[in-house]
Formats: sequence, structure tokens, C-alpha cells
Amino acid sequence: MYVFVCEDSLEGIFTGVYDACASRLGHRNIRLTTGEPENYELFSEYIPVTPSADKTGKVIRTITSRFGMQFYESIYQAVMSGETHSDKKMDKADAVYETILLALSCGDGQKVLLSLGEPCVYRIFELCRATNHEAHRHLEFLRFSELENGVLFASIHPKDNVLPYIAEHFTDRLPSENFMIYDETHQTVAVHKAYKSYLLADADDLDLDKIKRYSENEQEYRKLWLTFFDHIAIDPRRNPKLQIQMMPRRYWSDMTELIRFA
Amino acid sequence: MNIQQNMSLTEKLAILTDAAKYDVACTSSGVDRKGDGRHTGNCISAGICHSFAADGRCISLLKILFTNECIFNCAYCQNNCNSDVPRASFTPDEVCTLTMEFYRRNYIEGLFLSSGILISPDYTMDLIYQTLYKLRHEHHFNGYIHVKAIPGADPVLIQRTGFLADRMSINLELPTADGLKKLAPYKSRRTILKPMRLIQNGITENKQELTVYRKAPQFVPAGQSTQMIIGATPENDYQIMRVAETLYRNFDLKRVFYSAFINVNGDANLPALPGGPPLLREHRLYQADWLLRYYDFTVDELLSEDRPDFNIYLDPKCDWALRHLEDFPVEINRAPYRTLLRVPGIGYKSARRIVQARRTATLDFSDLKKIGVVLKRALYFITCSGRMMYRTKLEENYICAGLMSDRTQIPRDIRESGYRQISLFDCGMADQTVLPQSQMIAEELAAN
Repeated sequence: MYVFVCEDSLEGIFTGVYDACASRLGHRNIRLTTGEPENYELFSEYIPVTPSADKTGKVIRTITSRFGMQFYESIYQAVMSGETHSDKKMDKADAVYETILLALSCGDGQKVLLSLGEPCVYRIFELCRATNHEAHRHLEFLRFSELENGVLFASIHPKDNVLPYIAEHFTDRLPSENFMIYDETHQTVAVHKAYKSYLLADADDLDLDKIKRYSENEQEYRKLWLTFFDHIAIDPRRNPKLQIQMMPRRYWSDMTELIRFA
Repeated sequence: MNIQQNMSLTEKLAILTDAAKYDVACTSSGVDRKGDGRHTGNCISAGICHSFAADGRCISLLKILFTNECIFNCAYCQNNCNSDVPRASFTPDEVCTLTMEFYRRNYIEGLFLSSGILISPDYTMDLIYQTLYKLRHEHHFNGYIHVKAIPGADPVLIQRTGFLADRMSINLELPTADGLKKLAPYKSRRTILKPMRLIQNGITENKQELTVYRKAPQFVPAGQSTQMIIGATPENDYQIMRVAETLYRNFDLKRVFYSAFINVNGDANLPALPGGPPLLREHRLYQADWLLRYYDFTVDELLSEDRPDFNIYLDPKCDWALRHLEDFPVEINRAPYRTLLRVPGIGYKSARRIVQARRTATLDFSDLKKIGVVLKRALYFITCSGRMMYRTKLEENYICAGLMSDRTQIPRDIRESGYRQISLFDCGMADQTVLPQSQMIAEELAAN
């Protein structure tokens, strides 16, 4: 068995897919794994994959031209998931690899994505759904604060790498605002300048002092929001369990109105 | 009336939020609008909930009253002119600032503006119109706006407001005209249904206009909704659902909301409800409402004059299936989409996935599980390639017992509180309710 060890990123996994296909070792003898495995198997050969933009581009081109954008989007969303491998479930990179092989042999990407009976396709479906969910939750629960210099700032802790999707949404929604979204899990920042497109950057250069200096009005609007939040609940219908079900605890620490309960 | 001057914005917000919270609708769905690249706001058709209050209800819109001063005396409403509550009014500018500042911080998806009736319906509607005009044209707000049409207001005002809002609603308040007469003497069926028809016609005309002129201004693009109070008057579920069905069919409503009655005024005309608001009843009505809108059911299939109330122990779909065992079992690999929709445990999403997936492969129970079918409910009603999942009997008592063992069917507090809650439903609803057979079985089971 040959195991290709991929980096947990779009480039890492797609380069892995490319290398695995190009190695001509026979698909049945190949497995992909995301990140360094915890335990090495005795009779497997481990091949590290160096991410390459060139190979990634080739894979993307093949996928989009042969199976369409929708197929690529599903694969992309699955790759963006933070869940890499567990004992029970299939590895992320391996699921991507096998699904692409399946699509290549069948020639119809949409048809492959519907055959949930295949373990790899089901895994892609699961990962995709999880990422979508996480992304949507962040559109809901992300909170901006206004800084001294008028910039809107939000920090988030997503499980999956959903920052590009979120940034896209807020660029469309708030075109006239300067805003920053700081993904603390993945240490990346999305920066948006008014009337421009957004860009993604590494969080190394982020000035951690500046993001704590709020504008004059910020406290007042927070207070107003808390007032609204507390008064909108109907007492005889109180149902904390339902509240948590709809809005899991792990989001609370980033939310203006709930950080006091977190 | 207790009118205070010089209140701070926070105090006003507290009063006017409290006054608005019994309104149910807080959805931001039904319209897809991209940002224009210059001004604040866009809309997503699925809607976005931004938070959930302590009662578990979603907070999507800034739900406030413009003013809680009111000349009407509706018995169920805490803002009626006889009740002694602090009164406050916003100015249009305050509403605009709050909306814009909350929106840019991603607290809300838009504005839900309702109002008590100040001076006259026309005067109030005009204030609402002015506020929306400011928000749309001075602040260039492009997000979601849900606004109430005031019953009895001038049709021209309602029409103009409709061009600024995404969704409009007029509350039906009570399911029958008698109830309305008793509890809301200043309102009548006519003043409620007339503007509803007006908005409906406006939407239809606007749709035709939009096919000719793509850039024509949109009139209430997310449609209209309404709400009914449940449990304040002795209507049964059958009457309520019939009203809802009529509204969907004849008035093209997007949603009908049901609001479990909470006695805020202690009015002698109203039931006291010592066990809290009738939440389970509300839940069953919503379940049935979904069956009407997405599952192709009609009210007459679910309820009838003889059995006018929903089964407390089983959801309306299971209840229906138990009474129609002759239609089951259903073969997953062959049954048409509409038949699949009627199987308990299969939702419209999983039904769609089944139809797609069986084109390429024969489905088995393990596949169904992956697709998202709730097998603990569905297993009594389906076969895969002619086989059932386990050896089960197609018999009402047997299946009912099986379904009842599923603890998610009944909310926990009600399951545990047992008969106290149930007797509550029966009293006041009808003198002597004849329990349908499956319900009697269910009650026996609960007792054991």
C-alpha cells in the first residue's frame, strides 16, 4: 500500500490527487491521508506530497471542465471542512480522491454525487453539509464591533475554513464599510476596504491592541442591543434548551449578547 | 394613560420591544436581493436568524412597535387603551438609526415595524410610511423590511407602503368573526380582509408588471402573512386549520402564524390557562400547517367535524397514516414522489433525495438512513425491494405502540406532566370531546 500524505488545504489535497494519479501505482494500491498519520503501518510506504499550484490548477481545470462547477463546489466545500479523519470515518483526502476517480470512470459528476450508497460520496456529502452549516451559522452569529477608526471588526472561531464564504457575503452586504473578520482558529483575516473587493491575509500582522479600542458609540449600541435581546423573550415561554439547540454554546463567546452567559 | 416625556432611547426600546414581542412572525425569508454595490443591505431568500432569545424563538428582525399608544381596546392585547402600561413612541429618525446601526453590526436582518393605533388608523399608517420612506431613501437601506398594515387605513397609504416593504402582514387575530367581535370590538373581519385582498391584488398586478418591465418597483416581493391567537376563544383545531387553508388558497398568503395565547391583561372574558400557554397545541398546528404547504395534504384529510382536534400524542402525519393503513406499506424504489411525502419519517428533502438516488441504484434501509429518513418512524410504513426492515404487523395498535415509544414525539415537559396538561386542552375547547381511536390507545399507553 502506498499512502500519500497531503497537507490539509485545497492545494495539498489536489496535489495529492494529481500525484496519486500520475504515480501509476494502481488505484487499488493507493490511499491518501490528510496530515501526518498518528500511527504508521508497517507494510505501507508513505509518500509526502509537496503542494504545487501548478498541479492544483490542472486538477481544478479537469474537474470543472468535465463535471461542471457544481461538482467542483461540492468537492471544494468538503475540502474546506475542518474534520480530517477519525477512526470511524473515511479520511477527507481519500474521499476526495475516490470520488474524483468515480466521476472519471462514470463521466457524470452530478450522477456520482447522488449515489450516496458509495462510502466516499457519502463522506463528501457529510463534509459538505457540515461546512455549509458552519458557514451559515457564521452569517447568523458573527458580530461586528466598531473600532475607534470606524472599522468594523469581528472575530470568529469556526471549525471549518469558511472565511472566504463569509467575507463574500459581507462584501455584498456592506459595500460601503471598512471591515475585518479575524478567524482565530485558522489565523487568517479577511480585510475589506469600502467599495473594493475583500482580500485574505495571514493574521501575523494583526495589531491586537488596536482591535480592542472601540469607538465612542459602540458601548451604547451594545447596551441597546442587550436591552432588545432581553426584552424580546416571552417569559411564560422560556425554553433554554431550545435556545441552545438552535444556537450551540460554542458560538456564544463571540456574540455580543451572549458573552455574559458563555 | 401613562405618557412619559424625555425618555432615553434605551427606555423607549425596552417598552416598545416588550409591546411588540407577542407578534409571532420574525422571518426574513422569501426574497433574494443582491447588494447594489454602494448601499448597505442585501436579502437571502432562505432568511437568516441572528440570535435566539431565552424562549428559543429566533431573532431575525428588529421587532418593535412604532408606538404602544392605542385607541383600540382589544381584550387580548397588553397595549389596549384600558391597560395601565408605560407608553412610548419612537420618532422615524430613531427607528432608522437603530435599524442601520444594528444592521451593520450584523445583529439583525432588517426591521419589523408594527404599531399601536395613534389618533387614527390613517395617521398611524402615515407615520409608518414616513419611517420606511426615510429608511429606504435617505439611509438607502437595502435589507429586509416587514411591516404591518393597519386595519382600516386608507388603501392608498397601504399601497404606497407596500412598495417600500418586503413583506406585509395584517393580523387576523382570531379565527372566527364571533371571537373577533367579542374580544376586539373595534376590529371587524371586513377591515382585516379588505386590506389583505388589496395587497394580494397588488402583488398579482406587480408580477404582471415585472414581466413587462424588469425594473418596475417591486410590491411586497416576499408576500404577506398573518397570525392567529390560539386558545383565547373556544375554536377547535379543525376550524382554525380550515381558516388557514382558506387563507392560503384564496388570499395567496405565504405564511399563517399561530400564537399560543398568553393572558397578559387578566381580562375576565379570557381563559386563565393555569398550565401556561397551549404550546403543544400550537406545535401541532404548525406541524399541520407544514403538511398543508409542503406535503400536499388538505385539512379534510387531517381533521373532520367528528374529530376536530389534533391527537396530542402523535404528530398529524403519523396520526393520518395510522388511519390510512390501507395505503401502506409503500415501496421506496417505486413509489411516486407524492406518495413518499406522505410516509411518516420521510420529509420533503429526503423524499427528493430518494427520487434522485434510486435512478442509479436500488435503495436499501442503510441507504435510507444515510439519506436522512427517520427510520424509527418510517419502518412501519415502507418496504425496500419488497422487504420490510423488521417483521412488523400492519395493525393500528401495534404501530401506535411502536411510535409512542419514540420519545421525541411528545415534548418532554408534557410527557412528564401527563394528564394535567391534557385536561387543559379539553376544557374550554369543547364540552365533551370524543377521542379518536388511536388517541385512546395512546392514552392507555401513557397511563401504563
